[in-house]
Order: sequence, then C-alpha cells, then structure tokens
Amino acid sequence: MAMSRATRYARYQQGEKLEISLFPFLSIFLCVMGVLSFINVLNSFSTPQKIELTAQLEQGYKVAYQIFSLPDGIISVPPTKHLLKLKAVVNNSDALVIEDILDRRSLSMQRLEKHQGSVMNLASEPDMDDILEAILDIRKLNQIALKANYLYEEFLLFGIYPNGGSAYQKIRDVMSFTRDAASISVGLEPLDSNWTLNLKPDLSSKKAFR
Amino acid sequence: MKNLISLDSLTDIVSNSVGILIIFAVINLIHDNNKTYQLEIPIEHRTELSPAFFIIKNDSILAMDTDILFSNATLQATRGAATNERLFALDYFDILGKINEDKGVSFYARDTSKWPTFKELGKGNSKLTKTLNTLDAKTQFAFFFVYDSNDGDDQSTSASGFEAFREAREYLKTRRIKTGWRPVNDEAPANICKDHFGKRCDYLPSYLGDVR
Repeated sequence: MAMSRATRYARYQQGEKLEISLFPFLSIFLCVMGVLSFINVLNSFSTPQKIELTAQLEQGYKVAYQIFSLPDGIISVPPTKHLLKLKAVVNNSDALVIEDILDRRSLSMQRLEKHQGSVMNLASEPDMDDILEAILDIRKLNQIALKANYLYEEFLLFGIYPNGGSAYQKIRDVMSFTRDAASISVGLEPLDSNWTLNLKPDLSSKKAFR
Repeated sequence: MKNLISLDSLTDIVSNSVGILIIFAVINLIHDNNKTYQLEIPIEHRTELSPAFFIIKNDSILAMDTDILFSNATLQATRGAATNERLFALDYFDILGKINEDKGVSFYARDTSKWPTFKELGKGNSKLTKTLNTLDAKTQFAFFFVYDSNDGDDQSTSASGFEAFREAREYLKTRRIKTGWRPVNDEAPANICKDHFGKRCDYLPSYLGDVR
C-alpha cells in the first residue's frame, strides 16, 4: 500500500533537518561518465582505419589500374572513367577495341559491386591469363591514346597487404617475361591489414565497389 | 515542505553532461568510420642515382654494406660453401646468403635482435639515423627489401616491416632522398644482382606525387 505524504512527513520529528544522501546518485553519474569516456577513448584508438579508395585513382594524365595483393590472392580494380572520352576521339577500329575493353572492365566491376560483405573476401589467386590480358589491354589503351595525341596513360598500381608479397611476385614474374609490360609504369604501396578496402562509388560512371 | 532539496538543477546538469558525452561518442564513431587514407602514387622510374640497400624485418632496419656482403659471399664461394644453391653464413648480422644463377646473391634475414629499430629514426645519436643521413640525394637513393610478414611469436597478419618502411620513407622524404622498395619473404628473398640478369635485378626509385 502506498505511504501517504502525511505519513512520510510524520516520520520526521519537528526541527530535524531532512538529509538526502547524494552518494548513490553521484556514484551512478560518475560511473556512466567514466564508462562513456572510456568507450570514447577506446574507440578513438581501436577503430580500424578504413581505406576508402575511388576506383578511379589518377595523377595528372596517369590513371591507375589498381591491383591489391592480399594473402589469399589479388583484387583487380580496372579504371573505366576516361575510356568513353578516349573512345570519342579515336577512329572506328580503335573505338571498337576500347569498347571491348570497357565492356570487360565494366563486367569485372559489376561483379565486385554485387558482392555482399567485405570486398576483401573476393581476393583470388592471380590467374596468369587474366593478368596477361590486363597488361595487353593497358598497352593497347596507352598506344591508342598516344596515337590519338590524347593525354591518357594507364599504369599498374599495386597495393601490397602484409603476407601479400607472393601474389605480387607472381605478377611481377609474369611481367618480366612479357614484352607488353615493358612500356607500362608500375607503382607499389605498402598497406596495413587493418586498413579495410572500401571503394567509394564513382558517381560519374557508376562503376565502383564497396 | 521547506526541508525538501530540489534535485532539478543537478538532474539537469547530469543529463546534459551525459547527453554531450553520447554526442561526442557518436561524432567520434562517425568521424572514424569516414577516415580515409589517400593511397600514395609512387611510380618506379629509371634514374642515374645508385641504390643504397636496406633490409627491413620485424620493425628493424639494417643497412646492407654491399662491400662486406659481396666479399664474404665471394670468400664462401671460393671455399665451396656456396655450391648447389646452398645457404651460407655471410658473417653480417646473421644474414644468410645463397648464390643463384637467376637472382645473383640472395639474402635471408634471420635474427634481427641486433638491428636498429625504426623507432630510432630521427634520434640524433642513433646509428640508423646517422647511416641514413650519410645518403647523398644527388647521387644515391635508398632501396628497401621489406619483409611482408614477421617471424617468431608475432604471426598476426598486421605484422610486417611495412610500417617501418613507411616511417623510413617519410624520414628520407624530408631529406629529399628518393626511395624504392620491394616486398620480400623466404620464398622471394632479397637479392642483389647486376641488371644483365634481367628485370629481377632492377632497383628503381619511386617518386611520391600528389593524388588529384
């Protein structure tokens, strides 16, 4: 049964001061503050840094064909952004070549786009035929751009994850034996395993992956 | 009634403080999730500069004295220790060597406890800093063989010499010294050879350009 207000006041004698202990309240308050601050600090230290790379990474007129080398294999991210512009300035036969390359690259990017979950799981053992085809495509595109006097050059950019050296070495071995690779510039960058790959969607061509 | 203490103001302060902390936590979370790392674009290129070789393993960086390494390798070869692609000691910081027709002399790093760590970079009295400071930007560039995984107990996938390399590269960048690198491991070890052996003996620097 609920105690009436009159009854509660009746428990205190007249002249006696009402004392309310703030200890439980302050205890809870400080605990909540402490836990929140701790979570905040912990979060700022432990949250893995996320790489967000656009599918179209470029430096001036040089455009990167990105290959990420992981322990389980590689992920290829071919550029598509400027190919339509390049196609517009070349002759018909070269335009057909560009269209063919663009179609294959678009399919490859769609496969990456459609994948549910972490894109890192898509890494696969480097297929030498695919690598040779990619190298040949890059060489063809660079030659077409040069012939059309269009400022465009693709190069291979390797992002190497820890324990990802073997896949990279395999590709470099293939490159050392094919003449198509001789004229292609190469760059390589070391990555950390806690840098998760998360490519931003490319709004211009809508060919990107997460 | 006059004996009652009003908790309104206290409750107000408490709720405000907790609310602000929650907002901070959420902002921090969102901020971290959107943290981006711009991939550098280093592109290998031919140069007249000569390479100064380094090996990076287990966060340690070792300058390779090629004069000592090659004279020791030659000595071992003349003694017959280097026949049939056998591993032999080079008497240089526990590095083992192997002579191979395709790759020249390959180097296998073992115990790195005597190597300087990258944390010594920039410290004036450290041997590593002094070694890097001797590089001449007009005639030399630094080429790093970087182990893509650590050995010993530290088998996590995040463990590699990459962080040490990035630190060394940043340090050398401030001194305008170009750097090049190659990931290595026991299957694909560091090797030094003349360029007539082929592309495997290309040691090229990269420049670090801006990402547009």
